[in-house]
Amino acid sequence: MPPILHSAGQWLYARAENLLAAMLATMFIVFIVQIVFRYLLNLPIGWTHEISVVMWLWMVLFGTAFVVRDSEEIRFDILYSAVTPNIRRAMIVASSLTLVALFTISLPAVIDYIAFMKVEKTAYLKIRFDYLYSIYGVFALAMIVRQLHLCWQAVWGRGSEEFDPTKASSGI
Amino acid sequence: MTISLAFGLALGLITLLAFLGLPMGLSMICGSILYLLMRGQDMGIAAEQFLNGMYSNYIMLAVPLFILAAEIMNSGTLSERLLKWCDALVGRFRGGLAQVNVLQSIVFAGMSGSAVADAAGSGKMMQYMMTKDGKYTPSYAAALTAVTAVIGPIIPPSIPMVLYALVADTSIGFLFLGGVIPGLIMAGIMMVQIAVTARVKNFPVEAPVPVRQLPRMTWEALPVLFMPIVLMYGIYGGITTPTEAAAVAAAYALIVSALFYRAVKPGELYRSVLLSAKTTASIGMLIAGALVFNYVVTIENIPRTISAILLSWDLSPVLFLIIVNIILLILGCVLEGTTILLVIVPVLIPTAQALGIDLVHFGVVAVVNIMLGLITPPYGLLLFIMTRISGSPMRAIIGDVMPFLWAMIGALVLFTFVPETVLWLPRLFGYAGVTP
Repeated sequence: MPPILHSAGQWLYARAENLLAAMLATMFIVFIVQIVFRYLLNLPIGWTHEISVVMWLWMVLFGTAFVVRDSEEIRFDILYSAVTPNIRRAMIVASSLTLVALFTISLPAVIDYIAFMKVEKTAYLKIRFDYLYSIYGVFALAMIVRQLHLCWQAVWGRGSEEFDPTKASSGI
Repeated sequence: MTISLAFGLALGLITLLAFLGLPMGLSMICGSILYLLMRGQDMGIAAEQFLNGMYSNYIMLAVPLFILAAEIMNSGTLSERLLKWCDALVGRFRGGLAQVNVLQSIVFAGMSGSAVADAAGSGKMMQYMMTKDGKYTPSYAAALTAVTAVIGPIIPPSIPMVLYALVADTSIGFLFLGGVIPGLIMAGIMMVQIAVTARVKNFPVEAPVPVRQLPRMTWEALPVLFMPIVLMYGIYGGITTPTEAAAVAAAYALIVSALFYRAVKPGELYRSVLLSAKTTASIGMLIAGALVFNYVVTIENIPRTISAILLSWDLSPVLFLIIVNIILLILGCVLEGTTILLVIVPVLIPTAQALGIDLVHFGVVAVVNIMLGLITPPYGLLLFIMTRISGSPMRAIIGDVMPFLWAMIGALVLFTFVPETVLWLPRLFGYAGVTP
């Protein structure tokens, strides 16, 4: 990869991290606001609830799509950690292609569903649900691209180093 | 038992993808898409279940907030102060530092809801304190930290119990209360075990902290010691919902670290928030995957089918609970706890209900089981973490964990056969539940 692309990628990754952290911070602050309003000022408010739920949803989808690496995800790695790098590469190719196939086949239906949700709005802030849910479409696309990338790396013999060394040395 | 080909293949695909190393949440989404495809149903349903499920289950928001609270506590000097106080209290006994490890876990358990956070938080410091000057072997120190961390999510607050409340539709408040006594019993057993081992192996004694200093040290640790009380009062005094209590916990940890101990640096705070957000994304993905797959499981009527089969065997509730314990303990050896809680436990709940087993009792037993799964070899998350922190080989840690693990399984048997150990406290607070 040319150095400029590499540093641009790192810059973008750091901004994605900023955004993810900001989502959790927003959720936290909004919760505190909600508690203060309800119990200290006796003024129950509903919009805080909506914002925190949206942050939760976006944190999971955005985070999985752009920030959390596969090695940081919760997975079943007894077999994965025990096999030779070549077998591991084959495993990555098989799983990534399966995901790409299934996510691609279902993508039109997913987009249909998201578009259909334009008819509904949230209760307090009147945000259209297709806007809120569009992150799922982004997530599905990002997963397809990411898994294709992983597959590509595995085919060309790279990427298997991504494995978490703590678990590899666990002696399973 | 008749299951459709589509469901069989979906289950097969999920298992296969999981074995291949794909994250569990994604594996479950893929399996569910395959199911919808084969059934000729709208594949958008997977997205719909994911999005609506995540949007409408408000109680889940406690999960990221409890994670954040634990991260903030770990980044400040809260655990350090707590350790000093515990040392002043029980360090003077034989095997004192080992007892400190248990005591700090009890207090920490009352603030945080995650065993992994407990181990990662105080684990490093505890490991250093116990192994410097060769007082304890690194593997014993690591084993002890792993074992004591197990209490974390059993004594409230508790992330696994939030997840159980989600799948079983039970009250988080009563579940939390149900964990108090079992958690304390487990801690008590550990302390007795340590006391006995300490005599046999002649464990060191810490230089006793003069009693005169105790009031001052208690005063300094007071904001930390106060936190479990604030949380419990918030939830049971009807001031906050359990979800809001999670936010209060994080705010309290932040305020105490920043104002009382002046130990919060902006950079560190950012790292805590980011790390929590990443953990949230990965747990959230698993929850979402389970929501999508549970839709498939439900339309296939799997829990009812299993319930019908088990009921036709004329199982007694006790026998059923024994079988559940065995299944969960075995699964805990190889599967990650959240997956068991979100995928396996929901399948068992209708049977438990039909047999008249109280769902709070069932939940606490299941959570204790799953927590023990964190220290059962070969796949025990806490074992991995302590291997990394201590640098001693996993085999040695497992060796030192085993006596504790057997004792904890003994405790689990007690909670299983004597529901009162779990239900006495919730009933005191007005829990009606199932009367046997």
